[in-house]
This record gives sequence, C-alpha cells and structure tokens, in this order.
Amino acid sequence: MILVRITSYYRPLLFSVILFFSFLQPVVSQEQKHQNGISGPWLIQQVIPSCSWTCFQQQTNFAFEWEAAPVLFSFGMNKLNPKWHFFKVTQPERFTGSIELVLSTQLYTSKVGTSYWGFSGQILAHLPLIEYGEYLGLNFGIARYTMAGISSNYFVGGLSTFFGFLHYNIKYSPSDKIWMNIVEFRFF
Amino acid sequence: MTRFIVQSLAQLPVSPDTVTGKIEHPVFSQVGLSVLWVGHATCLIQIGDKVFLTDPIFTNTAGMISKRRIEPGIPASSIDRLDYILISHIHFDHLSYGSLSLLLKTATMLLPPGGAEYTPEFGFSEYREINTWEVFEADGLRITAVPAKHFNGRYGFDIPWLDYDACIGYVIEYQGKTVFFAGDTAYDPEIFKNIGSKFTIDIALIPIAPVEPHDFMIQVHADPNEALQILEDSEARIMIPIHHRTFIQGMDSSLTFAEDQLKRLVSERHIEERLIILGIGEQRIFVP
Repeated sequence: MILVRITSYYRPLLFSVILFFSFLQPVVSQEQKHQNGISGPWLIQQVIPSCSWTCFQQQTNFAFEWEAAPVLFSFGMNKLNPKWHFFKVTQPERFTGSIELVLSTQLYTSKVGTSYWGFSGQILAHLPLIEYGEYLGLNFGIARYTMAGISSNYFVGGLSTFFGFLHYNIKYSPSDKIWMNIVEFRFF
Repeated sequence: MTRFIVQSLAQLPVSPDTVTGKIEHPVFSQVGLSVLWVGHATCLIQIGDKVFLTDPIFTNTAGMISKRRIEPGIPASSIDRLDYILISHIHFDHLSYGSLSLLLKTATMLLPPGGAEYTPEFGFSEYREINTWEVFEADGLRITAVPAKHFNGRYGFDIPWLDYDACIGYVIEYQGKTVFFAGDTAYDPEIFKNIGSKFTIDIALIPIAPVEPHDFMIQVHADPNEALQILEDSEARIMIPIHHRTFIQGMDSSLTFAEDQLKRLVSERHIEERLIILGIGEQRIFVP
C-alpha cells in the first residue's frame, strides 16, 4: 500500500498543492458557463461538521468530522461537466462515479470528559448502484488514520444512500488488526 | 413538513392507481400540434415532425420519499421518437435520473443554468445549458428559456451555493405554433406580462399545485387563482394545468384539491373555452 506519511518536511508542499488547486478552480469553471465555484456561503457551510459513530472492537465513539476533497475525478457526468473538481463537488459529481482524495479531521468523544482528535487521508472510488448513486452507491479505497497519536493504514469499503447523506463503511487495518464500522451522516 | 413526510411514508408500499386505455403510439409521423399529459409536469408535445418532452418523470417516487399516486399516462418506452427534453429546474420531480435513463438517446437535453452540474451522463446526443431569454435554434425551431419564480437547489443544503436563477420555463416556436411550458413557478406579474408581450402563445402549460400551506407555497408555486392570472398575463389562447394530481405534494387535502379549485374559478369567470384539463395519459390534438 503506497501511503505517504505527511512529515513536517512535506507539509509546506501539501499546502502549496492545495493552494494551487484552489486557484485552479475558477480556471476550470470558465470551461462551463455555470459551474459554481467556491463561494462565501459554500465556505461557511464547510464549518458545519458531519456526524459519525465509529464502532471499534471494544467501544463506540461519536465524532464530529470535517472533510475536504482537494481533488476529485468524476467519470459519470454529462459531457458539459468538467471531469476534475477541486474542493467543491456536487453529489452527482461524486456519486455517479468518481475517484477522490479526501482529507478529514475528526473529534472523537467516547465518554464525557474524554475526547481526542483524529486525522485521515483517503483515496476513495465511488460507483453508483441505484438511481445514479442517489439511492445507493458503493465506495471502496484506502485510508490512513491517525487517532490519538497512533497511525494505521486501512482498506475501506462501504455503501452510501439517501443522496449520499448516509454512509456505512467498514475499515480494516491488516497490520494492526483493527476493524472499524462507521455510520456517518455526512454533511457536505 | 412532518405531515407531508408521514403521509408520503405511509403511501410508499401502496401501488399507484392504474391508468386505463393508455395510448400505445403517442408519437405521430406528422401532426400540427398535440399535447399528451403524462402526469405531473411531464408533457409530450408534438409540433409537426418535432417531439418534445418536458420534465420527464416516470418513477414511482420523486426523491425517494414523495410517492406517485397515479401511474404515468404512458410508458416511457412508447415514446419511439424524441427530439428535445426540456428541464425546467433540478428538483427531484423535474430532473428524475431514473426516468431520463429510460428515454431515447436521440434527444437533445436542454438544461437550466447550472443544470449540467447535476446531470449524469444518460447518453443523449447533446446537452445544452440555456440562460433565461437565451434562444436555442435548430431546423427552423426556436426554443426560448423564460424566467420562472421558484427556488434553486436539489438537496436543500446546496441552495446557497447556486448564485444565479436556475429555474426556467420554455417557449417553443415551430411551424407557426407556440407552446409555453411554465415549468414550476409562483406568480410574478412582471415575468408573465413580459412573456405575453413577446410571444403569441397558443397553448400554455401552467402549474396549479401544491396549494397548502398557502403562506409558504405562494412564494414558490402558483395556486389555481394565480395560474389563471398567468394565463391572462401571458395572453395564451388555451391553458392546460400541470403539476397536480400525480404526487403527494405539500399539504393539499386531496389529489384533486387544486383541480377542483381551478374548475370553480373558471366557471365563475366564464372562461371555460380557455381551459383544457387533460386526464393523465390523455392526448389532445389541437391542430391535426
């Protein structure tokens, strides 16, 4: 599994890449008349976290999760729509068929007074199963999670439904023998 | 809202009522002007050799929850020739993925501004976004996108993302006939008087529902009274009501709530000759 641990050496590079893609968004937008770019209301909405329940072998943790898709390649949309998307993605662009990089940060809470942060990078493929993925979609990929300072690599597989708002994923780390069952109400 | 969801969920296992005597071959080799109401905002319009389908929905639900109460007036497979699909906006009951996938791939799909971001690849010959007052021309045909007063978004949270007016209607002009498809709209005198001043409309397809809760709906949907005002303002010769009787919508007390109101108003105003209420699956040939 090829996953890069983001050391402090790489962080400025990653930041530059994200910045580059942010500026690229309006350039891509010009190819299609009405491609909605990153806007103030969209940015404000990104502050609202998704909610997830993660079942580990021994406990279930609730988490708030903030997710970003720095880059997504969409292959199920009509000819007018661009293939590449940076940060701002509509549900059909994702769930009609796509491959995306997802970066996210999670705030896990297990009991009152105990919480910890998690960070993850995932490469996910989405395939539509019913109604172009709006009713049911399949996703799979690879992920690297760092939770409470411990990092592990995972295989990811799952389903999404209800227009991509509701997700069920199984994540398995072969090296650390960790299973995660995750139900997520994803807010975009 | 809760009542709407409860009503819809309760209806989910129930099969839609059947339509008897469905027309098997709704497309003519040539006709002056015909309209077939498939249900909701879906109308099969034929002018001469050109065949148009508005906001096609053939599925049993719109957006997973809103339940169809009466089956489509014709099966999608019976449309054996199709030139243009006109989409008024991106709501589930107007841009229905499952329905579009059933249609002939020969069609050109016209979309409202921003519609391409919400449209999967169905294999149609062409996709075209069209701005308000923009004209699409081909083979002596003119299709003009006209404004509508409705609301953007498909999933709710995306409403603030869309920074332009993405709800439109269409005026089709071909071989001396003009058909106005109003899409899904509330009443706005400026919009419809403007449309009336620009076109000589033979047939206007105007939405009349949902009506209740009235204080909310009036901002985004024309009620029967306002639909008649749209008819007046647009100076159309004949109105066909659409967007009623098909799905559970809003909190209307019955499926025929808006239709009954419309009939009463038309009778009071003595304008029966300007209103044609089509049944679901009924086709009317206006010009042979």
